[in-house]
Amino acid sequence: MTAELGTSDLQGTLATRRSVGLWRLAGGFRRLLFFAALGIGVASLARAATYLLVGHFVDVVLLREDLRRGLPWVAAGFIGLALVQGGLTYLSGRLAARAAEGIAKRLREYLFDHLQRLSFAYHAQARTGELVQRSTSDVDAIRRFFADQATNAGRILLMFLVNLAVLIRLDAQLALLSVVVVPVTVTMSYLFFRRISQAYEAYQEQEAVLSAALQENLAGVRVVKAFARQEFERSKFDTENWEKFRRGRRLLIMHSLHWPISDILSGLQMVFGLTLGALMVMDGRISIGTYLAYAGLIIWIIWPIRNLGRLVVEMSSGFGSYSRVADIIREEREPLEEGSYRPSTSPEGDLVFKGVGFAYPDGGGEVLEDIHLHVLPGQVIALLGPTGSGKTSLVNLLPRFYDYTSGSLLLDGVELKAYPRRYLRQHVGIVEQEPFLFSRTIRDNIAYGVGREVSPTEIEAVARAAAIHEVILSFPDGYDTLVGERGVTLSGGQKQRVAIARTLLMDPQILILDDSTSSVDTETEALIRTALERLMEGRTSFIIAHRVQSLMIADLILVLQGGRIVQRGSHAHLVAEDGLYRQIHAAQTRIEVELERELASV
Amino acid sequence: MSDFGFEEEEFSTSFSGKTFRRMLGQTRPHWRRLVGFLVTIALVSALDSAFTYISKEIVDQGILANDRAALRDWVQLYAGLIFIQAIGVFTFIYLAGVLGERIRYDLRRTLFSHLQKLSLSYFDRTPVGWIISRVTSDTDRVAELLTWGMLDVSWGIMNTATAVIFMLIINRRMALIVLTALPLIVIAAVQFQKRILAEFRNLRKINSKLTGTFAESIAGVRVTKALGREQQNLLEFGELTGAMYRSSFRAAWLSALFLPVVQLISAFALGGVAWYGGIQFQLGGMTLGGIQAFVSYITLMLFPIQEMARVFAEMQHAVASAERVFSLMDSLPEIVDRPGAFDPGTILGDIVFEHVDFWYDEQSPVLKDFSLHVRRGETIALVGPTGAGKSTIVNLLARFYEPKAGTIRIGDHDYTDLSLKAIHSRLGMVLQTPHLFSGSILANIRYGQLGATQEQVERATKIASAHDFILEMKDGYETEVGEGGGLLSVGQKQLISLARAVLADPEVFIMDEATSSVDTLTEARIQRGIEALMDGRTSFVIAHRLSTIRRADRIVLIQNGRIAEMGSHAELLRARGHYYRLYTQQFRRQLDAEVETLGAPSPAPA
Repeated sequence: MTAELGTSDLQGTLATRRSVGLWRLAGGFRRLLFFAALGIGVASLARAATYLLVGHFVDVVLLREDLRRGLPWVAAGFIGLALVQGGLTYLSGRLAARAAEGIAKRLREYLFDHLQRLSFAYHAQARTGELVQRSTSDVDAIRRFFADQATNAGRILLMFLVNLAVLIRLDAQLALLSVVVVPVTVTMSYLFFRRISQAYEAYQEQEAVLSAALQENLAGVRVVKAFARQEFERSKFDTENWEKFRRGRRLLIMHSLHWPISDILSGLQMVFGLTLGALMVMDGRISIGTYLAYAGLIIWIIWPIRNLGRLVVEMSSGFGSYSRVADIIREEREPLEEGSYRPSTSPEGDLVFKGVGFAYPDGGGEVLEDIHLHVLPGQVIALLGPTGSGKTSLVNLLPRFYDYTSGSLLLDGVELKAYPRRYLRQHVGIVEQEPFLFSRTIRDNIAYGVGREVSPTEIEAVARAAAIHEVILSFPDGYDTLVGERGVTLSGGQKQRVAIARTLLMDPQILILDDSTSSVDTETEALIRTALERLMEGRTSFIIAHRVQSLMIADLILVLQGGRIVQRGSHAHLVAEDGLYRQIHAAQTRIEVELERELASV
Repeated sequence: MSDFGFEEEEFSTSFSGKTFRRMLGQTRPHWRRLVGFLVTIALVSALDSAFTYISKEIVDQGILANDRAALRDWVQLYAGLIFIQAIGVFTFIYLAGVLGERIRYDLRRTLFSHLQKLSLSYFDRTPVGWIISRVTSDTDRVAELLTWGMLDVSWGIMNTATAVIFMLIINRRMALIVLTALPLIVIAAVQFQKRILAEFRNLRKINSKLTGTFAESIAGVRVTKALGREQQNLLEFGELTGAMYRSSFRAAWLSALFLPVVQLISAFALGGVAWYGGIQFQLGGMTLGGIQAFVSYITLMLFPIQEMARVFAEMQHAVASAERVFSLMDSLPEIVDRPGAFDPGTILGDIVFEHVDFWYDEQSPVLKDFSLHVRRGETIALVGPTGAGKSTIVNLLARFYEPKAGTIRIGDHDYTDLSLKAIHSRLGMVLQTPHLFSGSILANIRYGQLGATQEQVERATKIASAHDFILEMKDGYETEVGEGGGLLSVGQKQLISLARAVLADPEVFIMDEATSSVDTLTEARIQRGIEALMDGRTSFVIAHRLSTIRRADRIVLIQNGRIAEMGSHAELLRARGHYYRLYTQQFRRQLDAEVETLGAPSPAPA
């Protein structure tokens, strides 16, 4: 909690042993945890003292008949000790909570920041649901580890030690005979809880199966109805549901065996201790007061130990969560600021590719090979080619989403890898085919990329340029309309224009457009095209092209196939050349001709 | 996360006795278990109090009387009762636990069965997440209260009651002094639990927001990186974790404060016992063992009270959960078999829409006075812009919905006179976003006809052009498709769902953009199979590919819920109307697809 947002580096806390890792994770909060433990220790002492006071009360006050004088002191003593005990219990609870919540808060913030700074390669292979799960439930399990489990285990051990020490002071022999069952209880709990935790996992697994079955049934409700398979679905669900009942019952049998057995062990130990104590009083070896103090203290030794077993199992789930979270923390971040060349002005936009090649880090061969290209500032380059030909991989190199693996790429004469990523991302704008908008207002979405206050006039200006202003005004809340699940659903074309406005506001020198308008009608298509052309003015632009119209305005057309530039030139040049471009062009023409012919024939 | 109107409504405004009674009613079929565990828990808690009493007698009659025989007797009794109590503990854990599992099982079974009956309109307006949490977490909470909750309460009541009885037996005056502390402890317990639970509720809300933020941040990570928004995002996220920290910390320290406060109250009672008990002792009205017993009773009394307070605070939630469960159970399916609904044996006949009106939302009608006569065996292509009402027409035909006005006739009958099963079992539907169930490819295809032989399945997959790609897969027909078919491509899923429909051998065939994600080559191959299949069946095709549309017997162009143009392909082109424009535009669009597939490394649907 004292840590500044995102400044602490938890990567340094990782360790091969999970217990060590958890210990280090508590760094900065260990003092709090120490005092929490100390508080509990002293509170336990106060409780033990309460029973000693009972003994004293009986032996000295009651039996020696100076009652009038002694009684008020004893009564006050009880209350005083309760105050000490209660106050310390509360304080250490508070300290432990502060530590656990602080650790959890730091971990959450760290993970949030870490995740948005991990590389594209990482996110490409990671599953969103799993990452969210780890950042929420697993972090909560770690919080519980510090708040409840570790603290409770510490409390039980301290209580045990303190009370045992006091008992030994009362009578060493009696004390030791009173804890003979403890190792037995601990071993038995350990053995039992290994099984119980397995049974519990099996039960939880079935719970997951069951809710997956339900979810699937709901998602496929049309299919179920269309094939009238309700009966089939019912019996399928019933099988899983019954299996869960069965596993639940198995788990319960374990539980219902474990508790009474440990109750019997603990209970017999109590009786044994009490009998022993009683005989010792009768033999005159200890006083009746000592016996009564003993009878009180023994409860606080035997019963907490009984609970230790369960705690051990719960802790193992905390360890599991820690491993999963540590897996994320271990990943290397993408350094945003690293780079030897930091110009203070915008780049010109002159790009030179010299034999650039690229392969994804997970292996699988070269996606781009031997790319040679010189782009002058302000030029428009169109990329054309089949799916998987490397168009997207090529443009992803420019903002350094991925780093090229061979060759050399120069921006304004300087190697691209020398530029800090942040600088490049400020000056390279991207409009994706299916842009992602956040569930905030349209205004916030447009202003999303600039780290400053933006005036409404500025926002309106870019929205007008992106041909989306009128649409926005038609919503009841205008620019303050929420986008997404809780607000309006924008069509593909509308989203794209909001994204164009967002990019316009950023005013990047280099522009990447994934130009697909296949999901919009002709009118919108024209609107988007105009907006895009306005956006490209005076910027070095790359268009991933799908249509002839987009190619026409390009200064240079590159045809990619299998990660190589197989053809380059203007439209006129390429049509004249034998190759993929002409094939594509021919296919298009063929369809056009076919259409003409068909229309003529009717 | 959840849609409008489906926010987690936490509380029913007033405590509903009716809901509570209905909730209790869930235990009725298993009343033996319920009675069994309530009786054993009563026994166990009475024994707890008895142990303290026996400890007293060990002191008074054994030690102080120096009577070894009495000591032995009491110790033997103690030991014997430990075994009896252990049997009781075994019994109540087992009975209560199994009862809980059984209630969960029953509730989920009932809910799931009921869900199968509900109409599609219900699923349109109810988010899946809402339904899932009704069936899972709400039933959990109800079962939890009916078993462990009741157990804690009866344990608490019994424990307190027997403790009070034993105290009264030992010394009546002193017992009454102690009892004055009892209401104080109860009040403190209830107040604390109320506040702690309120904080937990708040925490749950923050947590769902936090989860949403994480999910969005990960889904939108490309944009964040491209725009360099990391720092700003972290700052905003910090507000959320800050709120969570405060709420969580408050809940924690409230919990930590509770026990000391109650202990303090009981310390005063303890002081009172020492004082008054001491005086009584000297006067001979109180024994040493008696004082010790009082001390124990007071110390142990706060645990049952704490548990009861927790259960009562939790009860409101459980009742709210039960209310939601029952509301799902009580929601009526809108489309059901009318009285006297029958199965005509076939639905092959003319299909007639007569002046049909339909809307999902009254403000925006989808179909207005829609009439269409389809002859038996005809193939109809429905075309038109998105949202024109094409899918609505086939959904009405499948009786997923019923017309708000007008009638639909199948053969000679108003189709609402037929049973739902009569229609659904003879209908084959293939949808644009096909849904597969997790399991093998074979199991998914057999969904169309549960007992189909391997030969029948293969005949269907060959018609759907799915056979070859299935054989190429690792485990062939036994290949697992994953949840929702996630391990297959959309194109592959479409082919499998086509095969599934083919296997069902339907009389009426509906294809809603069924092959939109299949590559051109495969599409051409399927085309022949499909055409053979449609022969002799009435078919409705919502198509996106020109080839499919062109071959239909009749093309119906839908615009704003009305038929704008109708006729054969040639007729409509000649008219140079909407269809002509739509058609030429479609043609252009096809260029995109051609460019994307030309020269691509593999033309397979994968």
